[in-house]
Amino acid sequence: MNNRLRVLRAEREWSQAHLAARLSVSRQTVNAIETGKYDPSLPLAFAIARLFEEPIEAIFSPNGGSDA
Amino acid sequence: MLCTPNRFTWQLLGWASLSALLSLVSALLQRWDLDAGLLRWVVALLPVLPMVGYFLALTKWVRSLDEMQRLIQFEALLIQFGSTALFVMGYGLLAESGAVPNTPVGNLWPWIWLLLFVSWALGQLIVRRRYR
Repeated sequence: MNNRLRVLRAEREWSQAHLAARLSVSRQTVNAIETGKYDPSLPLAFAIARLFEEPIEAIFSPNGGSDA
Repeated sequence: MLCTPNRFTWQLLGWASLSALLSLVSALLQRWDLDAGLLRWVVALLPVLPMVGYFLALTKWVRSLDEMQRLIQFEALLIQFGSTALFVMGYGLLAESGAVPNTPVGNLWPWIWLLLFVSWALGQLIVRRRYR
């Protein structure tokens, strides 16, 4: 799964640690999601979407998806 | 446990230390000629009681982790379970065949504990690399 988490975080000038604290996860988890090593669960993906005030499909897309 | 010390680390250390202390107490008490029966059981099992607290603290620690960290622990524990099970099975079969000494379980269990913790730590190192 592809995601725009790193871009969205950079736009807000948040550190990984700050985003991790906002999502109540570890910094390693934020890093793993950003690098595509870990796909978040649906509840965590919705929490990310809610935090960035964007629809979930605007942040996450399947591998090879045209709307990434 | 490959993480920065937190309240769970201190709880785990506390329970493990209490178990070590009770091991000494148990060994001292067993110098006396205890009657067979309940008292001997209680004295021998004294160090096991704090380990109940240890595993309850461990459970609370795992439940406090986020979803990816829990997955890492799950996979690390699978590595621990597999390596320990294979070691015990292999050693048992070798002992049965006479290839290695048939060590009584009373002497073997501390080494199994050591293997449990070493394989858990190694398992975490292996699994964490995948998500780095």
